Amino acid sequence: MIRLRAVRKDYRSPAGAFHALDDVDLEVGRGEFVAVVGRSGSGKSTLLNLLAGIDRPSAGEIVVNDAPLAGLTERALSAWRSRSVGIVFQFLQLLPTLTAAENVMLPMDFGGRWPARERERRATALLERLDVRDQAAKLPGALSGGQQQRVAVARALANEPAVVLADEPTGNLDSHNARSLLELLAQLAREGQTVVMVTHDAAAEQYATRTVRIDDGRIVA
Amino acid sequence: MRDALAHKGRTALAVATLVVGLVAAGALLDTWALVRRATVETYLGSHPVSATLKVEGLDAGMVDAVRGLPEVAAVRARRVAIASVDAGGGELTAQLFALADFGQRGIGEVEGVGGAWPPADGEVAIEKSSLAFSQAGVGDTLAVRAGTGPRRPLRVSGVAHDVGLAPGWMDHVVYGFVTPKTMALLGLPEAFGELQLVARDANASRDEVRAIAAKARGAIEQRGGRVSEVDVPVPGRHVHAAQMDSMLLTQGAFAAMTLLVCALLVVNMMAAILASQAREIAVMKSLGARWGQVAAMYLAFAAALGLAASALSLPVAVGIGRWYAALRGEMLNFPTAPFAIPAWTLAIQVAVGALLPVAATAALVARACRMPVAAVLRDPGIVAGDDFFVRRSAALGFLPRPLGLALGNALRKRRRMLLTIAALAAGGTVYLAAHNLRAAVLDSVDAMFAWQRYDFVARMAEAQPATALEERAASVPGVERAEAWVALRAQAAPEGSAPGYGFALLGVPPGSAVLKPAMVSGRWLDRSDARVIVVSRELARDLPGDEVELVVSGLRSTWKVAGVIDVPGQPLAYAPRASLAALRGDDRAGLVAVGLAQRAPAGELAAILQVREALEGAGMRVASTTSLREGRHAIEDHLVMVVDFLGAMAWAMIAVGGLGMASTMGLAVLERTREIGVMRALGASHLAILGLVEAEGCVIALLGWAVSLPLSLPVSGALAYAFGQVMFPVPARYLPEAAGAASWLALVLAVALAACAWPALRATRVTAARALAYA
Repeated sequence: MIRLRAVRKDYRSPAGAFHALDDVDLEVGRGEFVAVVGRSGSGKSTLLNLLAGIDRPSAGEIVVNDAPLAGLTERALSAWRSRSVGIVFQFLQLLPTLTAAENVMLPMDFGGRWPARERERRATALLERLDVRDQAAKLPGALSGGQQQRVAVARALANEPAVVLADEPTGNLDSHNARSLLELLAQLAREGQTVVMVTHDAAAEQYATRTVRIDDGRIVA
Repeated sequence: MRDALAHKGRTALAVATLVVGLVAAGALLDTWALVRRATVETYLGSHPVSATLKVEGLDAGMVDAVRGLPEVAAVRARRVAIASVDAGGGELTAQLFALADFGQRGIGEVEGVGGAWPPADGEVAIEKSSLAFSQAGVGDTLAVRAGTGPRRPLRVSGVAHDVGLAPGWMDHVVYGFVTPKTMALLGLPEAFGELQLVARDANASRDEVRAIAAKARGAIEQRGGRVSEVDVPVPGRHVHAAQMDSMLLTQGAFAAMTLLVCALLVVNMMAAILASQAREIAVMKSLGARWGQVAAMYLAFAAALGLAASALSLPVAVGIGRWYAALRGEMLNFPTAPFAIPAWTLAIQVAVGALLPVAATAALVARACRMPVAAVLRDPGIVAGDDFFVRRSAALGFLPRPLGLALGNALRKRRRMLLTIAALAAGGTVYLAAHNLRAAVLDSVDAMFAWQRYDFVARMAEAQPATALEERAASVPGVERAEAWVALRAQAAPEGSAPGYGFALLGVPPGSAVLKPAMVSGRWLDRSDARVIVVSRELARDLPGDEVELVVSGLRSTWKVAGVIDVPGQPLAYAPRASLAALRGDDRAGLVAVGLAQRAPAGELAAILQVREALEGAGMRVASTTSLREGRHAIEDHLVMVVDFLGAMAWAMIAVGGLGMASTMGLAVLERTREIGVMRALGASHLAILGLVEAEGCVIALLGWAVSLPLSLPVSGALAYAFGQVMFPVPARYLPEAAGAASWLALVLAVALAACAWPALRATRVTAARALAYA
């Protein structure tokens, strides 16, 4: 499902080059729930960005859901993302002027996979599944942190992606909501979706089927 | 300052916005100052004539007698004759002036500006404003015919300039200066028929000048002369000054409005800068800076922007001001080129440029700099909005999502959005009002000419029997109708008083087939009418009541005013031709109005030539012909030019609105980089992001358009009123003219799409990774 070969990512700055990732090889199979852990600045988020196709490697090869990302243009990457990847962001990244349901429908609008009349029904079903259906008509500002996170997961699942990527999904949640979210991600993996989660929360590792540890841009375990 | 350099596009837009406003206002100030200077030094410097008296039997003794009056500074005698000149296969109306001494100073001075001056006998000097219209040049020969005289070739000896004349190109008249001997060559009397004077008191009022003119009339009549008419123009006012003043006043008001809108848009930009630097401000204050010190820093930045805008706008405003002043000078028939724009206008422009942004942003800067440090440092940055307007926009779920999202986004920064809407609406309001006024003016001109169902009027060299004239003209193939008219001058003269100010009196058949006027009040002439007149609105204002004593051809008679109509130009009255014939014992007519079966411009010239040939074949010499179409163009030239200048101001305001929108959307994209990144991460294509930004711009544009529609109502009414006060009455069109509203909609959407193009492109260049890294 996911394959990285000799991936390197360098950032150049006036202070000199910085190797965010160095010679990373990784394979993740369908239905796996992988927790990527490491210290701040170790390269976890860089790895996630590369998997999501929102950043490009300096060297190496990345294939996600049978698509070699290196050959895709920005435009093609956008289309690919809307089909193949769902992202759960660390911060509150719901669009503030759209309701919860509309936030979930937005990736469907971009992807165009579902007919327009189907989108609302699907969004309602996803919100129901995540136990926030009664919040569908509310703006994100009117939701609690936990509710927002559930809506964000529903949005990530909107186009039935093969891969769900989560960046510190529990970072802003209390322990109860964090547990609930991790159980949800584990459930998705059991249902066949591949989940890659970046976290520095030790408790979160317990829910993953595999843990990948990164240190100074290299996979160490 | 570093922020200004870091966001060059935003800074450039703010400066550009100020430049447009300063150019608009500065150019008008420069124009006004330059025209004022030229007016004082050129027009008033020519010692314009205070009064003109038409005198029968004018001689040197009468001229000397008037010259001897203590209230009179200068006197001259002249003869004025209407003639025609051949040009371009057709015939143009000409007005010839003969003066005893072309070099006389101190009264209506005429200057030679090309070729030889003054003209010799057998030559004509053309007034420079009608040179191009006459299609002649110095050294050419013009065929001129006046009255019953022969057609004479006159050599164009030179070009003269009389600043007291309205431009010939505008009035569609060839003005020419000739000697009295040349008048005689044309078959006209050599003697002078008018006496002109300049009052000694340069500040004399119109009534005071009228009193002086009455004294002069007494002096003339004491010596056996007969004064048939006295004309006293408004002292010190050029014939087109009212038009110019009203035009400049209106444009000045709109220029001030443009400047105000510019200032509001600078407030937008400053608000964005202050919001993005709230933490820096808090940090500076926590390090010991007083709020005043920090505020001074931002206000100095605002002043620097203003000074930069002034530096850029000043030469452009001067250039446009000079060009526009020259154009206005051309309309007033005097040059502005020799004069410099006064230095004080430049100083004002620099001061306004520097102080306007400071004044506009002062309150905003003070508020931002007084924010408590702790409150700012606690601020988590961009947060999800959850206010009334955003909730309302979310309720509009029936809209397509990108449009709903665009609407919601537009509502997030409401003050900024409102200022942008205000800028666009202001431009749209003026655009619509100018459109309405233009349509109203053209409608009024249409209405004014619709009732005149003829194509041209032939002026006979000498009066002819009315019936014969009509029959001969009507016999020409293609002529549908012909009516002979009697053209006289009349003066209102209350019983026991001397004749007053003159007006044209036209004797027409009561059942006229070519005149079907819409009445302002009363009724048109009836077949049973005898001593009845219908007067123009302008004349009605001067008449004492419904019964008036008139002096016509030296005969006193009482007439009843039956109705009032709208007629452009001079005061005018219509009377039954038969009544005038009975009064004068003469049924001859000097004019014949001809209506053609095919009212098309193409065949008109040929028809005119045929009618002229037919009349002359019967021994009825035609002095000149005047096309109704040409007359209409002359009026439209005057009126529409004023309206079009107003339209130009609307374009400047729309440009400011466009720049404001570009600035607003640029800021919006900058602030929402993270959101755009999220959408990219969710799979939004370039087109989707581009469409979102453009749609937001279109939402704002549509709101601006909607706001401008009701706003244009009172502005249209006020403009029509102001226009009617100084030019000629036009009905106020309160409802936006449909074509104007539609074209404004198309225009505002085009402006929005263009203004949002760059911000939208920038948004598409935001990569998801950069967006998510953006703090």
